[in-house]
Amino acid sequence: MKVKYFLSFFPIIIYSITFAYARDVEIGFWTKNDPIDYRNGSIKMAVMILNEELKIEGADVQVVAKIRSWDGGKAWSNLKQAYSLAMEAGTGPTIILSGHEDIAVWGNSGLIQPIDELLDLDTWPMSNIVESLWGPMSWNGKIWAVPQDAEARLLFFWNKHLAKIGYSESDLEALPDKIASGSYTLYDVLKDAQKMQDQGVVQKGFGFYPRPKKGGDYWQFYRAFDGDMQDSATGKLVLDKQALLAYYQFFHDAVYKYEVTSKNHIGTSWSNWHAAVTSGKAGIWHGGTWQRAEWVDMIGFHSFNENVGFGLMPAGKSGFKPTTLTHPLAYMISRNNDELSQLAARIIAIATEPRINSLHAIKSSHLGITKVQDAQEFYKNNQWPSDTSSLLENAFSLPNNTSFGQYDIAVWNGLTAVWSGRLTPQESVDYITKELNATMGGKVIIK
Amino acid sequence: MKRIPLAYWFLLPAAVSIILFYVLPVILTFVFSFTSMASDTGIYGNHYVYSKNAIRALEKSTLNRDIFKKIIERKYVFDSESLKIISQSKIEKKTQTEIEETLPGTVYSTEKALFEALDKLKNKPRSFRDKKIISRATIRSLNGEEFIEISEMRVAFEKLQIEVGEEDFDLITEVTNTSWHWTTKNYREVFSNPDSWRIFKNTGLYVTLTLGLFNVGCALIIALLTFYMSLGQSKFFRSLWLIPRISPSVLYVLLWRDLMDHSGFISYVMGYFGVAPTNWMGEFPWVTIIVINGFVGASMGMIIFSSAMQAIPKSLLYAASVDGAYMWQQIRRIILPQIRWPILFIASYQTLSLLTSFEYIQLSTDGGPARDTEVWALHAFHTALSNYWGNLRYGFGATLSVVLVVIGIIASITYLKLFKFQVLLQEPPIEN
Repeated sequence: MKVKYFLSFFPIIIYSITFAYARDVEIGFWTKNDPIDYRNGSIKMAVMILNEELKIEGADVQVVAKIRSWDGGKAWSNLKQAYSLAMEAGTGPTIILSGHEDIAVWGNSGLIQPIDELLDLDTWPMSNIVESLWGPMSWNGKIWAVPQDAEARLLFFWNKHLAKIGYSESDLEALPDKIASGSYTLYDVLKDAQKMQDQGVVQKGFGFYPRPKKGGDYWQFYRAFDGDMQDSATGKLVLDKQALLAYYQFFHDAVYKYEVTSKNHIGTSWSNWHAAVTSGKAGIWHGGTWQRAEWVDMIGFHSFNENVGFGLMPAGKSGFKPTTLTHPLAYMISRNNDELSQLAARIIAIATEPRINSLHAIKSSHLGITKVQDAQEFYKNNQWPSDTSSLLENAFSLPNNTSFGQYDIAVWNGLTAVWSGRLTPQESVDYITKELNATMGGKVIIK
Repeated sequence: MKRIPLAYWFLLPAAVSIILFYVLPVILTFVFSFTSMASDTGIYGNHYVYSKNAIRALEKSTLNRDIFKKIIERKYVFDSESLKIISQSKIEKKTQTEIEETLPGTVYSTEKALFEALDKLKNKPRSFRDKKIISRATIRSLNGEEFIEISEMRVAFEKLQIEVGEEDFDLITEVTNTSWHWTTKNYREVFSNPDSWRIFKNTGLYVTLTLGLFNVGCALIIALLTFYMSLGQSKFFRSLWLIPRISPSVLYVLLWRDLMDHSGFISYVMGYFGVAPTNWMGEFPWVTIIVINGFVGASMGMIIFSSAMQAIPKSLLYAASVDGAYMWQQIRRIILPQIRWPILFIASYQTLSLLTSFEYIQLSTDGGPARDTEVWALHAFHTALSNYWGNLRYGFGATLSVVLVVIGIIASITYLKLFKFQVLLQEPPIEN
């Protein structure tokens, strides 16, 4: 009887002994995580679930997540710098969640490994990821990452300011469609902004209030004038001088002709910029879908829905298309030993579960990455993603190219030179062409 | 055997520190300046990738056509070699057995087709990982492959039965290698980039104005003014000027930012005069960086000059007063000649310091707007270590730093000549 009694507990004893001696494996995870994000939270939940799975499988391993995140102004460049240097020093994390444009740089240097070698992308939940998001995850014929979030970037406007310059209720309602059809252009933005200033609705320099810092958003203005960024045949970067000139001319006109943006706008602090757009001090501006969460949750702008209208980024001029940039973040796995890589891949797969992803999407005003989220009560009941997800149809993403950072900085410096009045748009285009020829040689096709 | 004097042993720690933390970094910077090292090439080791670009380059190269065809052809083959690898793997035995019984001799042109065939097995591989093991064992192509070690690539060539001569192998490794290489291109880029000259001029202007107006000029004025004050007053004013230096740099610049922002104190005051609020830092970036740096820099000169003035024998000044010398004449004829050495020290030290330090500029204007306040050291930092999209160019950043080292050496030699350093080093005639 006693033996039987003991034997009945035997499996439990073995099970307990196994886990008493389970090895702890550290998985490092680095990302940018602001208070409104759920990026760290998603990984914590994924690790918790994975550990339960490992227990049930009888594996002798338990994962301990070592999470480190950056936030604030220069978080992205600091994160990227830290990762590049730490990996070279052998102290980098196992998983890095960063912009998809890093795939080319880190893939080329061998810091990360193709994810299609570790995860079956035809299985759940990767099989349910929106098709268009796999493009930015690819480079050199392989898939290197799993998307974590997506978003659109929009033109925002204070409805009551537009009403004061003559927009009726129906005009306001029709404005997003007018932008989408291409009949309301970037120059109409400047004209409306000027009217707001002329009629004293907003102060001079606050009619059109663009992003105050460098960022991918500015490529939307180049695209709005039909500028190509990458040659599909060779994968090389492209600089379309005509589109670049029109893009620079637009900002020159905004500052010096219409005078709706101030000469020294670039460099305005984020806090002042947020304060201006949420208080109605600024008339029209552009930003990302996620910024709604910053305004509502962090600044307390709860009347956002009643006061602010939004649409795609308008076409540069009639005949061109409206646009929006989507910049999905990507889970990448560092080159590591097989065990760490396999565990990291499983964590990413779990964190991609629609229910977990929706937490980040709703909390931070991003868009979900899987198709099934549209059917989830929690996700679909939130007005913001359902209002903005359709805008992704017009979305483009930045090229995955090892030299993108260098090319981007040259074009940005050209813009700021025009903005500050140091160079005319044409002089700036000539300057940039000369600089890119000198520094990047055959890596950029200048046409 | 001649004994090493004890003094040299005392100097040893300093000498080791100088070699480790000054000489060695300069030598390494010089070495790195001749490389294409960047975040996309990596620092350590090699990485060989048969990317689309590499394949295109090989196609255009002199590589033997048969070898090229074998490299780009992609197929998955169940032959004795692949079956052996599968049998040694951790894949379940029943799956291994079924593969050995049903698949030998079969060839698939894509991984997808291979996986479909594996899924049709009764004992299909249990996980994606197992499928990948089979894929790696059966693949007979280099197209899209990557290798960390050159030996791995040689094994792959043997597995594919591609016989390749050393010349062709060298060509292939050169084309597929994505890691850094030795180059003089960085130096050519420094001289051909139109921005270099502009940043060089910015640096000259920044160093000259900050040094002239604040680090030496303002420091000298404060030292002289406080020299003629009572002890209590001079202590108070000197302490006041030390506040910027002892404040944490981030906090100090943050205060300036708040002062100069759209809704800052300056905009508030100027509002009373009908001036629209603006970002004053963007309006006057040069004034900003010179004043922010100057307020910190002036205090060092002030302390050194004040101490030097205190060391001037009072009798000289009293005698001059008795002879009817005014304050200006005392300064011109007695004080300034007496403190020539400290002025040389502050001018040369602060020149080198201003040339290489950029923290206050980075925190305030970050070189903007439009790179108007970008100085050479900040340019080197931005290039090598801080790019918005993560493109860090270590090699080119090192080249920029080497240029800075050369400028620093030239500036030091110029100062030594200008202030007649040899004369200053002579022993005082009174002791001869």
